[in-house]
Amino acid sequence: MTNAPHTASSKTYTDEDIKNLVDTKTGKYSPEIYTSEELYQLELEKIFARTWICVGHESQLPNYGDFQSAYIGEDPVVVVRQKDNSIRVFLNQCRHRGMRICRVDAGNARAFTCPYHGWAYDSAGNLVSVPMETEAFNDALKKDEWGPKQARVETYKGLIFANWDESAPDLDTYLGDAKFYMDTMLDRVEGGTEVIEGIQKWVIPANWKFAAEQFGSDAYHAGTTSHISGIMAGVPAGTDLSQVQPPTDGLNVYIGNGHACGLFLRNPMFYQVIVGPAVTEYLTQTSYPEAVERIGKERADINLCHMNVFPNLSFLTGINTVRMWQPRGPHEMEIWSFTLVDKKAPDAIKQEWSRNNVRTFSAGGVFEQDDGENWNDIQHVLRGHVAKQQKFNIEMSDHTVRDAEPGYPGKSFADTYGEEAARNIYAHWARMLTTSDFSFLDSVPTLKAAE
Amino acid sequence: MLDIITKNDFSVKPAPVSVELQQEIEQFYFWEAKLMGDRNWESWFTLMSKEIEYWAPIRTTRIMRETEKEYTDKNGFAHFFDDWNMLEGRIRKIMSDVGWSENPASRLRHIVSNVLIWKGAEEGEYDVSTSVITYRNRQERQADIFSAERQDKIRRVDDERGFEVVKRKILLDQSTVLSNNISFFF
Ligand code: FES
Ligand SMILES: [Fe+2]
Repeated sequence: MTNAPHTASSKTYTDEDIKNLVDTKTGKYSPEIYTSEELYQLELEKIFARTWICVGHESQLPNYGDFQSAYIGEDPVVVVRQKDNSIRVFLNQCRHRGMRICRVDAGNARAFTCPYHGWAYDSAGNLVSVPMETEAFNDALKKDEWGPKQARVETYKGLIFANWDESAPDLDTYLGDAKFYMDTMLDRVEGGTEVIEGIQKWVIPANWKFAAEQFGSDAYHAGTTSHISGIMAGVPAGTDLSQVQPPTDGLNVYIGNGHACGLFLRNPMFYQVIVGPAVTEYLTQTSYPEAVERIGKERADINLCHMNVFPNLSFLTGINTVRMWQPRGPHEMEIWSFTLVDKKAPDAIKQEWSRNNVRTFSAGGVFEQDDGENWNDIQHVLRGHVAKQQKFNIEMSDHTVRDAEPGYPGKSFADTYGEEAARNIYAHWARMLTTSDFSFLDSVPTLKAAE
Repeated sequence: MLDIITKNDFSVKPAPVSVELQQEIEQFYFWEAKLMGDRNWESWFTLMSKEIEYWAPIRTTRIMRETEKEYTDKNGFAHFFDDWNMLEGRIRKIMSDVGWSENPASRLRHIVSNVLIWKGAEEGEYDVSTSVITYRNRQERQADIFSAERQDKIRRVDDERGFEVVKRKILLDQSTVLSNNISFFF
């Protein structure tokens, strides 16, 4: 589509080199983190193969045998609902010669038959039948040893996560205080959320971390230049845009374990221009009292939380767009995006919610179009030898890091337009690449679940 | 809630229409494509009815026995799911000088072909299937190609436009969209 891939850098990074790429003290970092093939391979190994990666939502698989394809980094997996209602996630790779076992996006099946030589796996991923088992194998094949690699699976309020690493802490510990903010989307009313059917997928020729960091920390681009035209598209014709002021009351939060978010408080301006008046009324009036009761006023008053669960799961709570930034080499990502709605919301509100996500946060969304444009161009510039040597600036709010506002958990805080979260995301990234065990994970207290 | 035409309306071979009608409707679509290529979005938008339902469902890869689930339905997610008001906001965005995805603007070409016409339910209404190849080139060397079937309902109007588009369903021939955005129209 755009340019041919870059040639791999011949540089070999020591742990010290990697740590030096991100200097949180001076607020400088090296864009090599977006371009190096070597660092990318390390990311697949040290980040994607040992953290909890979102592979979908339970409502996408309501019945026994329902499955969908997903990815953990670049590893394709199949996510399957089991007879006992549990969920299995296994590598989409036949153990005979490595053929893809499941070649569709989603469906319902009792078994997956490999198209190459016909090894058949049940919905749990057990190898159950092998053609010519007697004639070809003399019945000696130990079928129970030749199922595809299984991942650990856990869910949090509907979202399904998988992890290859047996030694990784459980999902609850890994998410830590991120759950507090995730609940503003997942648990604001009784019954939780469900997915609007369909995952939109598209390709941006840019490193996945641009997107992950932006959703985790960058309110600045939304409050300044990037999305002026998106805001314009969401207000009635002739509106004086100087009267549409982005909210300034809020927080930039580094939550811990790489997770980060930003909050806009007590000003639903972004709801109005993104999901529109009907859904805004539903969020801030109709369902507000129940939200206050369930998750408390502090959280019910968050009028949009932009958030990234490390490494690559992002959402905008309230807007309820959910996306996985699938890494595809240092220079490309696929975006997999879907919309959540409150399960008990009226049908008309659900559809309005979904249609406004299509209108704003999708490949053709009036907000997201412009993000795609920025990341694409940044990556293109980074082809330059000199461009790669420059340092980028993450010093915003360095001098104004503030105390937490009571009621909002996290490790460190800045005002709405801050980069305290971004600095810590990148520092966490460097720690993950240079540590083999999980000793570096921040110890975050386990939250009580909402009543 | 929007009520959108379904694919099945277009699966029966149309009865022959007059050469004049065929020519008239083809010219309508060629002109529409020209307006898009010329970035004359304001004029293009006048060809959309106030009742316009502009919808592009998501296409997925399915096993043959589940082909009926290939496209998301009207309760599902989509690439476009707009009414007139939503489209009007998009037109203001694409024409503004702060819509970075189209400033500088893309170079667009829509090749419209395979024009099949069914007489509609009402006098002066037609269901029309067209095939569209869209070439989008932007900045130094970005090039994207989209291919789609459009299933329209158009209505004869009594002014120089000739027809207006009442419904448009865009069936993209991609499941993963191989482009960084969709910042234009089909
Ligand atoms: S590769 Fe799957 S059966 Fe041979
Ligand atoms: Fe953005």
